[in-house]
Amino acid sequence: MNRFVAFASLAVALLAPPALAQSTNPASPAPGNPGGMPPGTKQSAPGVPAPRQTNQPDLAFIHAATASGIAEVEFGKLAAQKASGRAVKEFAQRMIRDHGAANDRLSALAKAGGIAPADRPNEEHKAMRVRLEQSDGAQFDHAYIQGQIIEHQKAAQLLQYEIGSGENAELKNFASDVLPTVLSHLRMAQAIAMEMAQQRQAEVPPGDREKRK
Amino acid sequence: MSKRLRVALLLAGAGLLAVAALADPLPPDATYRPLPTLPFDAVKALDEAQKPQVMQRQQALLEQRYDLSNRPIANVIMSGGRKPVQGGVRVKLPAGVTWDSLSAMSPDEIRERGLLPAGFIPLPHVKQATGGQVFPNQQIDEVGRQELRNIRRFDVDFDLPDRFTPEFPPPIFLTTHPELGDVSHGQLLTIKNYYQLMVGLLTPVQMEGLRLLLTPFPQEEFNQTEDRKSSDQSLGVTCLDCHANFHTNAAFHLTPDVRPQAARFRLDTVSLRGMFNQQIHGSKRSLRSVEDFTQFEQRTAYFNGDHVSAQRKGVNLPDRFDQVPMMAQMQNIIDFPPAPKLNPLGRLDPSKATQQELAGEQVFLGKGQCGQCHTPQTSFLDNNMHDLKLERFYNIGQTVNGLVALPDGSIKTLTLRGIKDSPPYLHDGRLLTLADTVEFFNLVLGLKLTQEEKDSLVAYMLTL
Ligand code: HEC
Ligand code: HEC
Repeated sequence: MNRFVAFASLAVALLAPPALAQSTNPASPAPGNPGGMPPGTKQSAPGVPAPRQTNQPDLAFIHAATASGIAEVEFGKLAAQKASGRAVKEFAQRMIRDHGAANDRLSALAKAGGIAPADRPNEEHKAMRVRLEQSDGAQFDHAYIQGQIIEHQKAAQLLQYEIGSGENAELKNFASDVLPTVLSHLRMAQAIAMEMAQQRQAEVPPGDREKRK
Repeated sequence: MSKRLRVALLLAGAGLLAVAALADPLPPDATYRPLPTLPFDAVKALDEAQKPQVMQRQQALLEQRYDLSNRPIANVIMSGGRKPVQGGVRVKLPAGVTWDSLSAMSPDEIRERGLLPAGFIPLPHVKQATGGQVFPNQQIDEVGRQELRNIRRFDVDFDLPDRFTPEFPPPIFLTTHPELGDVSHGQLLTIKNYYQLMVGLLTPVQMEGLRLLLTPFPQEEFNQTEDRKSSDQSLGVTCLDCHANFHTNAAFHLTPDVRPQAARFRLDTVSLRGMFNQQIHGSKRSLRSVEDFTQFEQRTAYFNGDHVSAQRKGVNLPDRFDQVPMMAQMQNIIDFPPAPKLNPLGRLDPSKATQQELAGEQVFLGKGQCGQCHTPQTSFLDNNMHDLKLERFYNIGQTVNGLVALPDGSIKTLTLRGIKDSPPYLHDGRLLTLADTVEFFNLVLGLKLTQEEKDSLVAYMLTL
């Protein structure tokens, strides 16, 4: 068997079985609006692009989601080493684990769908990384958690975008699966940020607190 | 480093981050409606091929969530005398719990064990990814018969069974002619019949307002471009296609106020009865006048809150100083249906009400706390928005039939006058009966009402 055929059959195995795309189960991915497909798109079911048929929303999603996933794991590893607060360290461990697993699943889906995933974080992530590398102690924790809040807000919007505008049933299914987790990460990061802010406030001497009002 | 310097540095850091956050934004169609890429015929063929599956999915969802059987309440009829009112709790319970055992649990426990009845979480559109206006068949047929105008879509049908929608056509009550009662003659008001039905009842200004409210204008799914969901080039939609006879026919839509698409919640058409007493309009927008809402309903709700798309399809901009006030003045004379058991302060007259209804009023004003938001003296409104925080009871972010269930946030208090006439309930129509709303508020407000108290509340609401 030549390598291409082997890859193609693997791709089929990983891809939406037609049953998923066609499902009448409300928990399965819902059909998209067929109005937005490029002309000539081959379809596995009406309005569902066949494997390796590219379309704009799914491409945009894969690219942004994989770049963010890679960055999440990188930042997580950095924070697991450098963070000083216990809650921040634990949060970082969790990011490495959860985003690592999601990245693997998404990359497999992307490859099976014939879409190249991002292989590196984007410019914004790179700038963030520089900032994180240059900060220490409480300042690091603050920068990491603030960055995580924004990153998870963006991820939540991106996943919702794919659920509504995407056309590839497997990718939509992926997005639906991970969205609740991303929203719970967001709540965790916000809670940690609030705790750190309260701590900082408690550390400021009472006299200063008055003056800062 | 001094603490203050550190704080200053942190703040500067946050500023940097905000600028950097512009690097990788979402594609434009996360906010704007994309132009179609396929020709109309191809989209129509695909939509039609998907339709059976689309309808089956929603049917399966409704059956999972609700008991859809025909169980009318004995001796209760809607105000026009045309339709019985469905009774009983229709939201299905998860296995192993009762309404009482559920209300004894804390919100955390219900959330962690996944026990919130599915019928309480937001109700999706039949086809969330496309969304848009969907009319019930009775409305489609009657508009077709009278006007030869087509408001049927080829991609989706209306989803709820007829028995859970308002009577059709709804009666019309005018504040200017309380002596006449229902002035609809049992007909649906359209551009064809409005004049002969209303001449002698309305002022010239109201008549012109009515004409405008019945004039079709292009809309997102019903227009002349290739980006539409009606098989023929459509003349568009009128205000009263949804607000049938100034009430509602339960036509639904997606909120224009939210993006991206998967997060847009469903909107059940509200009644325009009693608009004269409302200070804020729209479940989320809190527009401050009927005039504002009238203008914006055409500008944005017709087009999903997308003025860019509206420009392409043929937006109608009613003249603010002339046409809009006439449309508003017409809406402002639509009355609630008569409630013979209520006194001028909105309280039950003990000489007319039954023991059970009076008991219900006690619960409403006392243990149930309903009256804190639904103030009897001001048409059961408080002209406020409230966050009922339903998300205490479930894990947010689950996708059901394409809708991502997110917190509802603040929603305007809806009136309870004439409430038996306007199922389904809540802003998205997720509850089918008044008994459902009692179970909903019992849980959300942590009331621990007894069965007797619940039954009396329903009996009371039927008198409003
Ligand atoms: C597709 C159905 C539909 C059409 C057509 C429609 N509406 Fe509405 N209308 C609604 C829905 C749904 C709401 C509730 C909006 C919300 O909760 O944000 C509403 C709300 C309103 C309100 C506010 C009511 C309140 O309780 O605050 C007014 C006023 C109104 N519409 C007037 C109009 C006018 C005037 C037109 C024509 C220009 C019109 N509507 C066309 C569905 C429709
Ligand atoms: C905190 C204020 C508040 C209290 C207390 C309250 N409600 Fe409401 N009620 C609302 C709001 C806000 C809505 C609209 C919610 C939505 O659409 O999501 C509403 C909607 C309703 C509706 C549906 C109206 C419609 O047209 O769909 C009913 C029925 C209702 N309430 C009954 C009750 C009863 C019965 C009680 C007491 C057991 C009660 N409410 C207590 C604020 C309140």
